[in-house]
Amino acid sequence: MSRSKNLANLVFGALVVLTLVAVFIALGFWQLDRAAQVKELQKPYVEKPIVELAKVAKPNRNLAGESVNRIVRFTGTYVSQFFAPNQIDKRKIESTWSIGLMEIDGGGYLLVVRSNQLSELPRGDVAVTGRLIHRQFDDVAPNAQSSKGELRRIDPSLVVSQYGGDYYDGYVVAQSEEVNGRIISAERVTIDPVQSTVPGYYWQHIAYVIIWWLMAAVVLFLPIYSRLRERNS
Amino acid sequence: MKGVVLRFRVMALLAGVMSLLLWFVELPVVYLLDNPELAEKVKWIPFVHGYIYAFYVLTAIHFTAKARFTVRQMILFILAGTLPILSFIAERRVARNYKEL
Repeated sequence: MSRSKNLANLVFGALVVLTLVAVFIALGFWQLDRAAQVKELQKPYVEKPIVELAKVAKPNRNLAGESVNRIVRFTGTYVSQFFAPNQIDKRKIESTWSIGLMEIDGGGYLLVVRSNQLSELPRGDVAVTGRLIHRQFDDVAPNAQSSKGELRRIDPSLVVSQYGGDYYDGYVVAQSEEVNGRIISAERVTIDPVQSTVPGYYWQHIAYVIIWWLMAAVVLFLPIYSRLRERNS
Repeated sequence: MKGVVLRFRVMALLAGVMSLLLWFVELPVVYLLDNPELAEKVKWIPFVHGYIYAFYVLTAIHFTAKARFTVRQMILFILAGTLPILSFIAERRVARNYKEL
């Protein structure tokens, strides 16, 4: 009985140690990834070729980091209009942006920032080219009135209740729109490529990698130390 | 043993000072004040603290193993470096118990 209890204790102890080691190693790798992200973001942004939206994003999927800032093209039909107050463009000018909710040919809805002025939604099949951006996480206009079609931030989750179906993550800042080959003239919003916000600095994350992996080593060392101490005493 | 104790005491003091700076300077500046210039000035604190804590852990293990402390005491000494005051308490205790060295 006592022998089986000892074995159970040993197995339990080993499981605890292995779990802690696995957690600490995983945390170290997580910090290593963040360090790599920080380093990547410090490089100057290089514009990539225009790509079809379907190749870099799918409805109901989180926007991949490498898809952010890509210039994409797609076609679809506008189904609703919204307004995003207090938005700031590249020139640091604050204005209300006109946003169209587009039903993309092939399925899914996507928010498209059309202009920094009020303008009517074009009818029919519209071909859009624009920069794909991740959704806004913080409220830009906390007092926005949803009854007037105002959005407190540009985030598809705020409009998902109005139209059923699948939504693309993020939004597109339109650079051009065409209907039947005719370019729609509008005052376009200009923005810089967004910088992903990974808090901290490269060597700070590396320090955390060292600490987490050191902790994993300590957890492995403690049972050995305990045995050695017992044997010596 | 004298060198081991001295190394631990130095690292405990350094870890304590860095923890104080981290908890009471860097974190409030970054998370409570909206002042990017000030945040830029204190950005060295978290990663200096990170490296010092790693060295503190090593010296704590070395010291507690040499002093034949229990596993529980060893863990407490390692964790003492994470809070501002605890590493100072650990350093004082070690200084008192090993003052003859």
